[in-house]
Amino acid sequence: MNDIGEFTLLVALATAIYGCVAYVMAVRGNRIDLYLSADKTPLIVWGCVMISSICLWKAFLTNDFSLQYVWAYSNIELDTFYKIASFWGGQKGSLLFWTLLLTTYTVVVHFQNRKTNLRVVPYAMAVLLVIITFFLFLINFSTNPFERIPLPPEDGRGLNPLLQNYWMVIHPPTLYLGYVGFTVPFAFAVAALISKNLDDGWIRLTRKWTLISWFFLCMGNLFGASWAYVELGWGGYWAWDPVENAAFMPLLIATAFLHSIMIQEKKDMMKVWNMSLILLTFVMTIFGTFITRSGLIQSVHTFDEATLGYYFLAFLFVILFACIVLIVNRLPLLKSKNQLDSFLSRESSFLFNNLVLLGIAFATFWGTIFPIISEAVRGIKITVGPPFYNQVNVPIGLALLALIGIGPVIAWRRATLSNLKKNFLKPLAAAFVAAVALFPVIPLGSRTENYTYATFVLCVFVMACIIIEFYKGTSSRMGLHEESMLGALATVTWRNKRRYGGYIVHIGVVLIFAGIAGSQAYGTHVEKHLNPGESFKIRGYDIKYEKLVAVEATSVKTRVIAQLQVSRNGSHYWTARPEKEFYKGQNQPVSEVDVLSTIKEDLYMILADFREDESATIKVYVNPMVSWMWTGGWIIAFGTMISMWPDRLEQRRRLERFRREEMLFPSPAQE
Amino acid sequence: MKQKQVRFLVGSLLIVGAIGYLITMGISNTSTYFFTVDELLSQKVSYEGSGLKVKGNVVSGSIQRDPNDYLNVSFSIEEKESSLKVAYQGVTPDMFADGREVVVEGTLGKDGVFHANTLLTSCPSKYEAEKEAGKMHPGTLGTDKYKEPGLKKTDALPKTTI
Repeated sequence: MNDIGEFTLLVALATAIYGCVAYVMAVRGNRIDLYLSADKTPLIVWGCVMISSICLWKAFLTNDFSLQYVWAYSNIELDTFYKIASFWGGQKGSLLFWTLLLTTYTVVVHFQNRKTNLRVVPYAMAVLLVIITFFLFLINFSTNPFERIPLPPEDGRGLNPLLQNYWMVIHPPTLYLGYVGFTVPFAFAVAALISKNLDDGWIRLTRKWTLISWFFLCMGNLFGASWAYVELGWGGYWAWDPVENAAFMPLLIATAFLHSIMIQEKKDMMKVWNMSLILLTFVMTIFGTFITRSGLIQSVHTFDEATLGYYFLAFLFVILFACIVLIVNRLPLLKSKNQLDSFLSRESSFLFNNLVLLGIAFATFWGTIFPIISEAVRGIKITVGPPFYNQVNVPIGLALLALIGIGPVIAWRRATLSNLKKNFLKPLAAAFVAAVALFPVIPLGSRTENYTYATFVLCVFVMACIIIEFYKGTSSRMGLHEESMLGALATVTWRNKRRYGGYIVHIGVVLIFAGIAGSQAYGTHVEKHLNPGESFKIRGYDIKYEKLVAVEATSVKTRVIAQLQVSRNGSHYWTARPEKEFYKGQNQPVSEVDVLSTIKEDLYMILADFREDESATIKVYVNPMVSWMWTGGWIIAFGTMISMWPDRLEQRRRLERFRREEMLFPSPAQE
Repeated sequence: MKQKQVRFLVGSLLIVGAIGYLITMGISNTSTYFFTVDELLSQKVSYEGSGLKVKGNVVSGSIQRDPNDYLNVSFSIEEKESSLKVAYQGVTPDMFADGREVVVEGTLGKDGVFHANTLLTSCPSKYEAEKEAGKMHPGTLGTDKYKEPGLKKTDALPKTTI
């Protein structure tokens, strides 16, 4: 089996190389025979990578410790569930997993588009295959997951207990699906540049891909935050760790891209900008992989092999260089047909939203690489931590929040005073009411507190804008048809999925903003070393430490559990059981926190340390409004689903446009 | 037309400038110097009072806890040539032990004692061992720091978390 796995990887590499050469030669030389042969390669490459992956999975499930990778990330006792997830537990497997996803996407793209647009699609396939070739090259010659141990050991080392959490099965694949997905719009953008089909065809062909990738990346980030929250036992969900940043930056740039392509679709503007954005998104995904795998920047997400990062760095520079040359070459063809008219217009609000999103991305990028730069320039390593990101990104984030409210409502082209009044009077009034109502209740003074106040007021403003939009649509429908309010709301949303789906996503984003502001500004925590029977107070909770128990859960796992009674106003509220787990073969215990989550706040308990005399160090956090973020995440998921849902009306429109476009390009573009 | 474009250019530049200003201010207000113990103590300039991160290994036998306050910890970190006394208040990470590589963040006091606000242990040794993997025959890694506490075992409690 292992030989098969190793061999199919080589076959995949050879086929991928042949495929990209054949595609390009077929289109350049107008050779249909070559094209037909090239068109088989995506499926073959996918098949080979799939077989190889199945071989690796089988090795995990059958405890084949002759493979170094299986030995390093699994053992006999490991749950089947985690054996499957161990596939992406380390460097080698995760690259294979990446390639598996990329080839799967490529095959789907292939079947989706092979009968359409013969000018662009072959180039897009070639670009995809070039990227696949790069990964297959790494897997074959640098990090082969089928590397053997000459004398197979009897048992493996096991999966790091920190990774033994159900999020391990969900978070990495989700994030990878997002990361890898952006390869598709990127490939189409490059193909459009090469073939000089520079209308918005490539954008429409890949709109769903962009949305899906954005969705997975967004969910991946949120899942990562939840995982960190429950597993790492530090009471937080986001640490501005380089690897978190690496996943966050492409999300920001992709968000900018998602918005600005609307302007290109509607107004035929911002062509160079969109090209640059999708290029940047893709480059950022590679940069993120480089950070994760080079070990150049200290991070919690460590992989073992340092040299691999430099392949990614080289690849990154090649792509960057090639794309810049391509874009500069095609600049004359990328002229916009329209121009911005007024600052007060939807077009410019989109432009500003793009600038702001890129600003956050750039600040994050700068903070991430600053240690390297300062060491190179000044010879002293200077690091920046969460205070930097908070100080810079919070004000820019507030501007973004305001734009979420303004953007969808403001008039196209040029807003006049009267329609500004019509659109914004009510939301502004709502914000004003909120500002007055919150003023006496909310503590003010410190910078954080003021920012939080501003965030809440802005959240109300944005929500008011969105609710009024929904209300307008619903009431006009109710006026025309005999429908109930809910029925009308549903129909309106269903008839305009892109628009109202987007609004729903915005509602989720507002909740996330509110959750972040609340938990950052009003959280508190206490650390106490206690003997059984002792108690302490935090934010109106009386917490009494009762006892410590050790439980032998399985033959490899011992759990040490602290029991605490929480009461409020004298009555019993909750029994908390934070614990530490000891895994045989691992020299590090894992903290399992206990959280009671309500809409108002999370009560979060950690058993930080304990001693033989049953005294224990307990750390308690009160984190307000954390659950708002998770709710916001689900709302984003729901909204994205709606705007992605296949739309017959939209399809018909697309088909018509497509026919028109085919007529626009009756002959091959001139070389 | 021309004038309009200039206006947008100026507007965009203003936004970019504002963001640039925020970044520059952020860097100068919040940056922390990162040294190893030897680097810090061989500096001619004194870094007393400014934000610092220092990396070193915990000197064996130097970890002391205040008998009245378990969370009050003092220890020393060393490199090849020098060592530095550290005072820390708080929970120590699971990996914190003699000989481990740690990064402390805080300020250097006049008395030469480093007052740490945060204490981080570097990558788990599991990852270091990984580099040797394949050559090395895996043995069982003992739970070297934690002995199972002499606690009475009870029936399994229901799993309460996550």
